[in-house]
Order: sequence, then C-alpha cells, then structure tokens
Amino acid sequence: MALKSAIRNLRNNPQLLFVRLPPLLSLICILVGVAWLLLLPLNEYSRHTYISENALLPGQVHAYFTGSEQNIFRGYKQELKVLLNEGGQSENGQDEAEFTPAISAKIQSILQVAGLKVATQKYEYTSAGITHQGENTYGIIHAPRGDATEAIVLVAAWKTADDELNLNGVTLALTLARYFKRWSLWSKDIIFLFTPDSKSGTQAWIDAYHDLHPASVHPLPLKSGALQGALVIEYPFEHRFRNLHIVYDGVNGQLPNLDLFNTAVAIAGGQMGIGANLQEMWEHDDSYEARLQTMLRGMTKQGLGYATGAHSSFMPYHIDAITLQPKGEGWEDEMALGRTIESLCRSLNNLLEHLHQSFFFYLLMQSNRFVSIGTYLPSAMLIAGNFTIMAIALWMRTGFHPDNRAEKSTNPKPTEKTVTPISKDASAPEISGHTIAERLLALPLTLVTGLHLLGLVPLWMFNTLPHQLFTTVTYVVVAVDIVFPLLLAALLRNGLGLFTPLVPQQYLLIKSFALLLLGLSLSTLATLNFSLSFMIGLLCAPLSFINRLQCTGVKRYAFSGLGLVLLNLLSPPTVLIGVCWYTGVSVETVLTQAAFGWDVWGMWTQVVVWCVWWPAWLIGCVLLGSSMF
Amino acid sequence: MTLFSSFLQLLSLLLLICAVTAEHTSNWAVLVSTSRFWFNYRHLANVLSLYRTVKRLGIPDSQIILMLPDDMACNPRNAFPGTVYSNADRAVDLYGDNIEVDYRGYEVTVENFIRLLTDRLDEDVPRSKRLGSDAGSNVLVYMTGHGGDQFLKFQDAEEIGAWDLADAFGQMWEKKRYHELLFMIDTCQANTMYTHFYSPNIVATGSSELDQSSYSHHADNDVGVAVIDRWTYYVLEFLETQVTSANSKLNLGDLFDSYDESKIHSQPGVRWDLFPGGEQEGRLRTVVDFFGNVQNVEVENANATEPGSLKEDLAEIARLVEKWQRRDVEYSAILNNSTEQQTGSPSVHLPRKQTVGPTRMTDDSSWGKRLVGISVVGACTAIWVAGSYLGRSVA
Repeated sequence: MALKSAIRNLRNNPQLLFVRLPPLLSLICILVGVAWLLLLPLNEYSRHTYISENALLPGQVHAYFTGSEQNIFRGYKQELKVLLNEGGQSENGQDEAEFTPAISAKIQSILQVAGLKVATQKYEYTSAGITHQGENTYGIIHAPRGDATEAIVLVAAWKTADDELNLNGVTLALTLARYFKRWSLWSKDIIFLFTPDSKSGTQAWIDAYHDLHPASVHPLPLKSGALQGALVIEYPFEHRFRNLHIVYDGVNGQLPNLDLFNTAVAIAGGQMGIGANLQEMWEHDDSYEARLQTMLRGMTKQGLGYATGAHSSFMPYHIDAITLQPKGEGWEDEMALGRTIESLCRSLNNLLEHLHQSFFFYLLMQSNRFVSIGTYLPSAMLIAGNFTIMAIALWMRTGFHPDNRAEKSTNPKPTEKTVTPISKDASAPEISGHTIAERLLALPLTLVTGLHLLGLVPLWMFNTLPHQLFTTVTYVVVAVDIVFPLLLAALLRNGLGLFTPLVPQQYLLIKSFALLLLGLSLSTLATLNFSLSFMIGLLCAPLSFINRLQCTGVKRYAFSGLGLVLLNLLSPPTVLIGVCWYTGVSVETVLTQAAFGWDVWGMWTQVVVWCVWWPAWLIGCVLLGSSMF
Repeated sequence: MTLFSSFLQLLSLLLLICAVTAEHTSNWAVLVSTSRFWFNYRHLANVLSLYRTVKRLGIPDSQIILMLPDDMACNPRNAFPGTVYSNADRAVDLYGDNIEVDYRGYEVTVENFIRLLTDRLDEDVPRSKRLGSDAGSNVLVYMTGHGGDQFLKFQDAEEIGAWDLADAFGQMWEKKRYHELLFMIDTCQANTMYTHFYSPNIVATGSSELDQSSYSHHADNDVGVAVIDRWTYYVLEFLETQVTSANSKLNLGDLFDSYDESKIHSQPGVRWDLFPGGEQEGRLRTVVDFFGNVQNVEVENANATEPGSLKEDLAEIARLVEKWQRRDVEYSAILNNSTEQQTGSPSVHLPRKQTVGPTRMTDDSSWGKRLVGISVVGACTAIWVAGSYLGRSVA
C-alpha cells in the first residue's frame, strides 16, 4: 500500500516527476554507462575467445613452406630490388620507391611463370584536391579440383598502412603464389593482389570486383567466385621479427568475424609459437589496465571509423579480412610468416560456407579475451537513453503552465548545480499539475530541423575543399561556433520584428526536440558502431543539463559566459584541434584523411559529427547564450 | 574300437554344440556414417575401416549395406585424392579398388535407413540397397556420427531418435529379419541410443555415456583433419590384431573386456539384458558370429516342433483357420440377433454368399462381327485388284 500511495504521490507531483527526477535519472544513466564500460575488462564480464566454426580446424595441418622456398624468396626479392635500384633509388631512398610499371610487369611475369592467370586494373581517385592513382596487379590460382565459386584473397601492398616499403611482404606473396600453385588441395580459388598502396588500391579492386566502382576506376578483366576471406601481408623491414600484430578494424567500425581473428591467433601462437599482439599493445601483461587500454584503443579506431590497413576495404562487402604485421626484434623469419599464412589459408580452405558462426560485434581486450555485443551494448545505450529521458521529460513538462506565484517562494536551488558547473536549472517557475498548456511547436521544430540541415554545410566544406584550406577552415568554424549561437540567441530573444520573441516553453521544446533526435540517432548508431555512439554520447552528455539560466544580474552573465566557454571547448572543431594537439598529428592530415575516407572508403563518421553532434551542440549553445539577452 | 567310437561320440557332441551356438545361417552388416562435410572425415573413415574388417572376415559386399553421406576421397581439400585413411601412417587406403557404397550422399536419410531395416522399400529398389536378412541372419549394425541424448544427427538436417531405432529393430524382429543383432554406435552420448530397445536377441554397445563426448583419436597433419574416433580405433585394434581369421574363437566378452577407459577417454557401455541368457550367454558369442560370415545350412527337421519349424507353422495355420471359422459363426449369430430385435421376423437367414463365377469374354454377336470384318476386307481386296488392273490398262 505504501508503494501504491508513493506512486500516486509521484503522479500528482509533476514538479518532481518532470523537473527534479529526469536530470537525476539522466545522470545515473551516464554514470552507469561509463561504469559499465569500465567493468568489461574484468574476468567476470569478458570471455575467453574460442573457435566457433567447426570447419576451420586451425593449425591441424603441417605447413611445408620452408627450406628451398627460401631460395625462391631470395631470388624474387633480388629481382625486385634490381628494379628499385634501376629507378634511381639509393638504399636510403627506398621508402620513396614508387610502384612503377616495371615492377608491375615483373610481378606479372613472375606470376605468369608460376602458372597463374594475371590481370591489371588502373584506378584514379580525387579527394581534397589530391589525386591518388595507381595500377593493381593480381593473379588467380584456380582451384584444381574445386568449382570456381569461392575465393580467398591474399593482399600485399607495395606500401604498408604506415607508408613503408613492403618489399618482403610482396616477395613473400609472390613466393607463396608459386608455392600454392603446386598444391592440388584448394577448394577455393586463391587471388594474389598487389596494390601500390594500402589506402586506395584494395578499395578500387574490391569495388570493381563487385561492379560497384566509380567511373574513374577500371573494371576487372578477370574475376573469380565469392570472396570468403582476405589476408594482408606486411613485412616492411629486413630483420627478423618476434610477434605478429593482427589488425582487424574495418571502415566505419565494422569488424571481421571473430573466428578469423581467433584462427590467426591460434595458428600463430599454437602452431608456430609466434605471439599475437593487437591494437599496438606490445607489452600486454593481461592486467586490468592493459586490457582496458587495449579495449579503448580498439574503441577509438572503431569510433573514428577509418581504414586501418588494406584489409579494411573488404569489410563493407562482408568479406572477413585481417592484416598480419610482423613486429619487434626476434628470431622468426619471413618463412615463419609464410607458414602462418599457409596454415591460415588451409583453414580458410576448409570453410564450407561464409564465416558466420562467431561474433561480428565484439571488443577485444587481449588476443584471447573479448566481450560480445550483448555485454557491452547497454553501456552506449544507457548514455544514448539519457538524452531520450530528458527529451520526454521536457516534452511532458511543456504541457503544464508555469505557476508564477510559486516562483519566488519555492524557487529551488538547482540540485544539479552540484553535478556540473555548467548545468543550471531553468525550471525556476514551478509547474503545477492542474493547468494544461498549449505547446507552440512551429518555431522550435523549424529551428531544430534547420540547424540539423545546416550541418550539411560544414560536411560539404570538409569533404570538397582542397586540403590546403582545411586548417584555416577549421579555425573559421571554431570562430563561427563562438559567434553564431550568440547571434542566434539574440535573434530568438528579441525577434527583430520578424517574429514574436520566444517564450520559456519554446526554449524547453527546442531542447526537447534536439535531445530527442540526439538520443534517437545515438541509440540507433550504438547497434552499428558502438564506439562512435559512446564517444559522441559522452561529448554531448553536458547538453542534457544545459538550460536557459534564470538567475538575475551579474550572476547570470557570469554563469552563462563561463558555461559558453566550457561548451565551446567541447565543440566538434575544438575537440578535433585538441586531439590533434595531444597526439601531435596535424589537423590538415586528419581532415585530408577524413575527406579521403568519405570520398573513397565510404566513411560515415563526418555525417555523425556534422549532422548529429554539431547541431545538438549548437542548440545547447543557443539555449545557454539566450540567457545573456 | 572303443576309442574310435568315443572319439566319434565326442565329435558328434562338438558338432551338436556348434549347431546350438552358431545356428544362424547368414551374416549381414549395416554400416552407417551419418555426417557429411570435410571436417567429419573421421566418421567416414570409421565406417570404411569397419567395412574393410567385415570384408576381411568374410562378409561379401552383397551382404554389406554401406551408407556414406559424403565423398571424402574426391573432396577437393583432400591432399591425397581418391583415398581415405584412418591412420596418420597412411598404410591402408580404405577406399582402395573394391568398395561398394550402397547409399551415398543425400540418400543417407533417416527414412531410407529405417526403410532399409524394416524392408519397407519399393519393388524397384535394387537388391544392393536391400537388407535381405531373414530369421537366420546375424546382423551387425554400426553407426557413427554426431549425436546427443537419445538422438543421432543425420547430415545436419534431421535426426533419428532412440525410440525410432528401437521400433525399427522391433519390427525387424516381428518380420523375422534377424536372428541375433549386434548394435554398435560411436557418437557423443552413444549409450543413450540403445536404452529403448525392446526386441530380443540384441547385444548393444556404445562409446560413451550420457553427457559424455566421444573423442577423435588422432589427426593426420597432412590430410589436416582427425582421421578416426577413439572407441572405433580401439575396437578396430582388437579386431585387426586379435581376430586375425574367420576361425577366431574370441568372443564378444573378449571384445568388450578390451575396452580401456583410460585410452577411450569415455565410458563405453554394453547392454546384455535383451539377449536370452543375458550377459553369461551373450559373452560366449564369438566375434565372427557378427563380423564374419558363416556358411551353415539349416536342414529343416520335418518332425521338429520348435518355433519356426514347418510342423509348428502348419499347426499355427490350422489354429488360425479354426479361429476364423469360429468367428464367422459368432458374427452371423450376432447379426441374426440384431435383425431379430429390429424387425422381429422369426426367419433366420445367413448372409447370402454370392459366388462370383467367371464371365465369358465372348458373346454370341461375335460371329456377326466376324462376318462384317470379312466383308470389309473382301471389299478392300476387290477395290485393290480392280484398281491395279485398271491402272495397268491405262499405262
């Protein structure tokens, strides 16, 4: 009975229900969401990886790639090296060595002599005023006893993801092509793809493979069956290596099937005795901190959604792919890497259907520990949910007339003030449950829609302007971000004769709609790209608690001014500049890369930034700024 | 002389014992693998190894039903095309030159398996796909695949339950399709598969208990898959090293005693209770009673009265005839009673039997038809003659 009456009391008290409670609930959502993420690396919440697909049988075959194959390797390497030197490159200048037609011709002749069908593909992309062009070379081993309906891809880019010369990787792929051709046990075709770089070559090739290439990319003269998996080989140095670094992040945070990663780890560790690293965690002691760091690094890459290697381009086509990077100083040579790849290919060769048994949504925190989507999703969902809770509460609250008589007597000292300095309670006029107000929707709806559409302007600018202008434009946007909300706030406050000035209810409605859109977008995004949704959600978290300030005099100007400064520190361009300063990468590089991602890879991160985050942030600034006028 | 006569007596006694213990007249083997796909190589190797063993011990191909759902020898992933090996030493190619697969690929279904056992097959199904066993046949049924608690999966698509199998064997017994039956199964939780058997003369053995997995024995690093299961491996080891010829006197007791849980890694089980005489009697059956082939001929004794003899059959038929006659009379009496009650007529009339006589195929009008026919033929002939005569005159 006590509970019943408590609920009845709550229902009869809209002040508590729609004004006091929601910020508290929102805050709890955010805190629990963050705490949830921090719990994931614990043993109780993460799981040991396991091979889910029976057919893979990792490491059950003996890998014979050794011995005399090494002589072939050295021979091929010498042939390529000669071409490098002929191109007028000194030993030091090798990193600048371009993928010349002579090298392409050499690769073709080697593949042809080995008995492969060979073809080339020219492509050209233009992004941010830079033209990327090149020619892919590839050869196909047709499965001697299989049907040509499926294929595996081995990629060796002339330049690695870090733009180093991948001479050993390319040579290894050539040697493997000759070696694989002599086996009769392939059930799938094997495609050896040699691209000039790790950024655009594979993208052009895979687009053309599926006939989805733009006009500037040539179609493929030679094709095989449905691609089942892809492995990218990198070996950009001359010394022996210790560990294998497995890169698995795809464009837009898409991931390959966990079985592929597990198979690589199992084969490298179990069969070859080579340790596996991930996310550049060279010293992983399996402690909580190390696991958390690994996970956060993975989340950052996933959230930014850029291609981390040549393998990333395969992911949008649902082709599972990873890059194998030898790292460290050790005693493993290129033959060991070759055997690992041979064993991996044998495992992929065993597949009966597309990899589907294991997870596609996961966070890895160690080469043998992960959390799956069911465990981590609530974290981002709670953070996205906090905006929705506030939006609904504001909507309900605007349905009541503010009771002005109560304003002076019970003006509640904002309880949220203790929470964050920029959160101010604008709910000074107490609302009562007896009077029903009509909502004035037209202007708030127009404003919120308009500002979201306005996001297309920076989106267009940052994807079409030449790259030299990017740094300047960023600072311009920062300046605009400071001035524009204030102008807009002044306009709304005074009407300027165009329309009647806004009433408090409309400010609440504007906030309600903005948060509703934000919550909706982020919770949808959380299922697709958890990390991006989580990061944007955290950066937007203050917006839940920002309102027009109601306090008087100097205090109002001081608080709103301070709030605006803090909020401007969290604006998209400022965050970008801050992160660039922290990591030491130039803003231009990041934005050029982002524009390239948008133009070539089909990266959606900017859309989320400029059409979800930026409008929501702008509305927060407008609300806070309006208290100045 | 006394020595010779006693020797003769001994010999006849021995023969008598032989006749009692090995009274079956033929041997049949049903060897089933139920899983397909490359990574289940070992299940096909299991079955093929057993196939090889029973052939070695004398069961001809015509009396072996071999069910293979997949073709490992021709799988493109096979590093040794055209072969199947059950050991990493690859000493024996199980596929060899002479192998007869009776049910292959998608023919290996639960329905086909049960139809095979119970002989519910179309007339046009060839003999090679039929289990032609009779009341004198010892049948070996070996199954392997992926199973669970009281089921065995067929080809990733369907499964056979323990009750289905029990009922199939039940029907086999009713239809006199076996004399004694040895059921062997190698799968996870195999022993649950024979829990529901109820028809007599069955000895059943399985590789693992409820909630236990059966494991593979070893993998071949060049073929790249596990090549044989543990239990089957050790059963075969016994059969290949101990039962070296069809004259082997080793019995089922010896075979089952050879199970070593530390090697098999699961607890194999044996079920004796359906066998007349239970374990004591069952243990005495020789291994070749099921794995080998006998050439015994059953000479029917006209005076014998045991089940299955001619005399007993005749007596049974006579009893049936008597029974039906009695029922006929009773039935008519009941019918009379009911009509009496309904109509109250005192007349008693048995249901009239209408004898259906043969009908004549011909009737009297046939002569008329013949006359018409003759006249038509005659007219045609006349026209032809006239035509040819006229044609010649014109030319």
